[in-house]
Amino acid sequence: MNVVPSPGRNAPRRRPGRRIISTIMKFPRLFFAAALAYACACAPASAHSFHAGLTDISFNAHTGSTEVVHTLMAHDVEALLTNLYGQSVDLTDPQAQAVLRKYLEKQFWLTGADGKRLPLHWVGIQVDTDSVVVFQEAAQTASSKVAAIHDAVLADFLSDQVNTVNLTVDGNLRTFGFNAGHPEQSVH
Amino acid sequence: MMVRPTALAFALAALFMHTQARADDPLIQRVLVEGLRMSQLGIADSASAGSIGQKELEMRTVYRPGELLEAAPGLIVSQHSGEGKANQFYLRGFNLDHGTDLATWLDDMPVNQRSHAHGQGWTDLNFLIPELTSRLDYRKGPYSARDGDFASAGSASISYANRLLRDVATVSVGQNGYLRTALAASKDLGKDGSEGTLLYAIEALHNDGPFTHGDDYQKLNGVLRYSRGYANNGWSVTAMAYHGRWNSTDQVPQRAVEDGRIGRFDAVDPSDGGEARRVSLSGVWRQTSAYAATKVSAYLIRNQLDLWSDFTYFMDDPVNGDQFAQPDRRVTGGINAIHTFTAYHGKGDGAGDRNGDGGIISDISVGLQAQNDNIFNGLLKTRERATLASTRLDHIVETSGALFIENQTRWNEALRTTVGLRANDYRFRVQSSLAQNAGATSDTLLSPSLNVAWAPFKRAEFYFNYGQGFHSNDARGTVSNVDPKTLEAAGQTPGLVRSHGMEVGLRLEAIPKMQSALSLYRLDFDSELTYVGDEGTTEAGPPSRRIGIEFSNYWKPLKWLAVDFDAAYAHARSRGLPSGQDRIPEAIEGVSQLALTVSPVGAWEGALRLRWFGPRPLVEDDSVRSHASTTLNGRIGYRIGRDLRLEFEGFNLTNRQVSAIDYYYASQLRGEAAPQNDIHFHPIESRSFRVTLVKNF
Repeated sequence: MNVVPSPGRNAPRRRPGRRIISTIMKFPRLFFAAALAYACACAPASAHSFHAGLTDISFNAHTGSTEVVHTLMAHDVEALLTNLYGQSVDLTDPQAQAVLRKYLEKQFWLTGADGKRLPLHWVGIQVDTDSVVVFQEAAQTASSKVAAIHDAVLADFLSDQVNTVNLTVDGNLRTFGFNAGHPEQSVH
Repeated sequence: MMVRPTALAFALAALFMHTQARADDPLIQRVLVEGLRMSQLGIADSASAGSIGQKELEMRTVYRPGELLEAAPGLIVSQHSGEGKANQFYLRGFNLDHGTDLATWLDDMPVNQRSHAHGQGWTDLNFLIPELTSRLDYRKGPYSARDGDFASAGSASISYANRLLRDVATVSVGQNGYLRTALAASKDLGKDGSEGTLLYAIEALHNDGPFTHGDDYQKLNGVLRYSRGYANNGWSVTAMAYHGRWNSTDQVPQRAVEDGRIGRFDAVDPSDGGEARRVSLSGVWRQTSAYAATKVSAYLIRNQLDLWSDFTYFMDDPVNGDQFAQPDRRVTGGINAIHTFTAYHGKGDGAGDRNGDGGIISDISVGLQAQNDNIFNGLLKTRERATLASTRLDHIVETSGALFIENQTRWNEALRTTVGLRANDYRFRVQSSLAQNAGATSDTLLSPSLNVAWAPFKRAEFYFNYGQGFHSNDARGTVSNVDPKTLEAAGQTPGLVRSHGMEVGLRLEAIPKMQSALSLYRLDFDSELTYVGDEGTTEAGPPSRRIGIEFSNYWKPLKWLAVDFDAAYAHARSRGLPSGQDRIPEAIEGVSQLALTVSPVGAWEGALRLRWFGPRPLVEDDSVRSHASTTLNGRIGYRIGRDLRLEFEGFNLTNRQVSAIDYYYASQLRGEAAPQNDIHFHPIESRSFRVTLVKNF
C-alpha cells in the first residue's frame, strides 16, 4: 500500500460533474505547467524531459458512473505512437485514436473486489499543444467498487514515467503513485 | 474531440469551450492536430537536411518507387532504360548516374552497390514498397561523421514501419499494361502484442510503359518482419525478397527519330533488358534510456543482376552489334553500431538546465560500420542476349570498416555545434580474367566535420557546415594495369576519393505555417566519376567544383492545403581544365518544383505537382546542351467509405514530348557508313493514367 496523503485536498463536496472539471482545470493545470516548464527548458534534448501522467477517478451522481480522466503530456504520447508506428500520428484522426485506445486499455485497468476488471468504456479524447486528455467511464458503477488500480501507462515506454492517480470515494480523495516497477496497487 | 456523446462528454464540452483551445484553434494546430511537417528548428544540423513522414510520402504521385526520394528538395529521379533497372539520380549539380555520391539506406541496409558491373554505387530501389515506408530522412552535403561512402552530394535513409496503423490491400490498373496489387498488414501476437508483432507485405506489378517494344516489367516483392517492443527500445528481424525482369528501351539517337527511321518510343535493340533478384535478412536492436542510446544492426544481402544494354548499336561490331552484358552476383554483409551518451549535462549542479540556468548539454556518439562484399561480375559481348565473348570477368572482395566519433553540444538556447571525425579503411582484392588486372590494394581516409547552428531569433536559425566526405572507386580500377578492350596500358585509380563541402544556410519559420530553408554550398571533389558510354561503366576523372544555391518552402495556409515550392541552381565545373572545356557533362544546373496538396476535404483529396528539370551541358565545351523538361503529375482520391478509397493518378498530364535523360556520344546505326556524334535520349513516358482501389482493414 502506498497511499500518499494529500493535505488540503478534501475539498467541500460539490456537484460531481463540476468536481471532475475543477480537478482537471486546477490541479493538472498547475501540475502540467510545472512539468512542462521542466520539459520545455530542454526541449531539443527530449531524452532529458520529465515524464509524468495524472489520472482522476471519481463518481458522477448524475450519470451514476465512475469517470476516469487521464491527463498525459502530448509530447510523451506523440513519442510513444511514433515509436510504435514509425511515423508521427495525428490524434484527431480516428485511426490514431483507436491505437491510443488499444494501448491505454492494455496499460490501465481497475479491478473490483471480486478480482475482475471493471468494464471501462472509452468516451473520447481531447488534444492540445501540451496535453492529451483521455476520458473513460465505468457505467453504473460507484467509485467505491474500485478495489485495485493498474496503471502502467507510458511506464513500459519511458523508464522514468511516474503516474499519479487521484481516487475520490464519497468525497475523500486519495492519491496513489505508480511507476514501471510498481504498476498495481490495492486501494484498501 | 468526443467520440460517444454522454452526459459527461456534454458537460465537458460545455465547460471546456471557453477555457480549452479547440481543434481549429491555429495555435494548437501547429503541433499535433494539423499534422504540419515537423519543424526542424533546433533539430537539424543544416538547412539542407530534413525528414518527410508517411502521410506526405503517401500523398505523392510516383510513377516508380524510386521517385519517393524526390521528396528531398532538389533531387530528381529518372530512368534511361527499362523499368526494373536502377534509376538515374540528379542532385546538387551532379548527374549521379545510378546513385554514385548519393548514399541510400533502407532500415540500416545499404542500397548502393559498390564496384558494380554497370555503375559505381548502383542504387536499385525497385524493391521499395511504399505502403511500408514510414519516413524518409535526408541530408545533403558531406557534413556528418555518420555518413561514409557515396554521401558527398547527400544521403537518404528510408524507414519501414514495425506496425501499420491500418492494414491495406490495393489494386491498381493503368494504361500501358500497368497492373499492381499489394497487401501490407501487421499483427500483434500473443495477448496485447506481448509476443511481438508480425509485419508482412507482398507486391506484384506489371508495366509495359509507352514503348513500342513494351518493358513487360514483372515484379514480385515481399517483406516479412518480426519485432518486439518499441522502435527505440526493442528489436526486429526482417526478411525481404524481390524479383524483377524487364525489356529495356535504352536511349535512342536523335537523328534517327528526326529523320523518321524510328519513333520516339522505339527501341534500336529490342533484346536489351535485364533481370534482378534481391534477398536480404537484417536485424536492428535499440536501447534508449534518458541519458544513453544504443543501436546495433546487421544485414546479409544477396543481389543478382543480369543486364543487357546497347548504347552504340553497330559502331564497334557492324556484324553482331554492340550489345553487352554486365552480370553481377554479390553477397553483402555488414554491421552498424552506434552508442550515444550524455557526457555533460548542466552546470554541474545536478539540475542540468532544468532550472533554467542555461546549462550545457553535450552528447557523444561513437559508431562503427563494417561491410564486406563478395562480388562476381563481368563485361561480356553479346548478341540478342547470347554471349559472344567475354571482355572481362572478375571476382572482387571489397571490405571496409569505419569508426566515427561525434560530439553534439547545446551551449545555450541559441547555439549548437556538432563536431565529428570519421576514419575509413577499404581493402580491395580483385581476381580477374586478365592477369594484369588482378591484385590487392587498400586505402584509408580520415574525414572531419563541423556544424554550427545559431538561433538568434526564435523562428530563425543560421547554419555553417563544413565536412569532408568521399566515394570509393570501382575496385577493378584500383588494381588494373591494362584496358580490357584494347589491352593498352591503363593507370590505376585511387581507392577513395575525397570531397570537401562547405555550406551556409538559413531556416526560417517566421511566417506562420510556413517553413523555408535557404542554403549556399560549395563542394569540391578530388576526382570526378565519369560515365563511359561504350563500356557502360564509370571511371575516375578530373577534379571538380560545384557551387550552388537551394531554396525550399513548405506552406500550409489552410488545414486542407499544403504548398511546396523548391528551386535549386548549381554551377559545376571541372578544375585544372581551360575555361570553355571545363563543363561536366550531364551535370544538372537548375531544378524546381511546385506542388499543391489537398488533404481530405470531405471525401476528396488530391495533389498536383509541376517539376522543372533544367537544361544540362552534354559535352565539356558546352556546345551541345539538353533541353529543359517540365512535367505535371497529379492525383485525386475519393473516399467511398470509411475503409475504401479510390485514387486516380495522371502522369505527364500535359503530354510533353521531352527527355527523361540526354547523353551526347558517338553511335552508328545499321546502314550508317560511319559513327556519328549525336544526342541520345530516353523519352519521358507519355501521358498515362492509373486507377487504384485502396481497402483498409
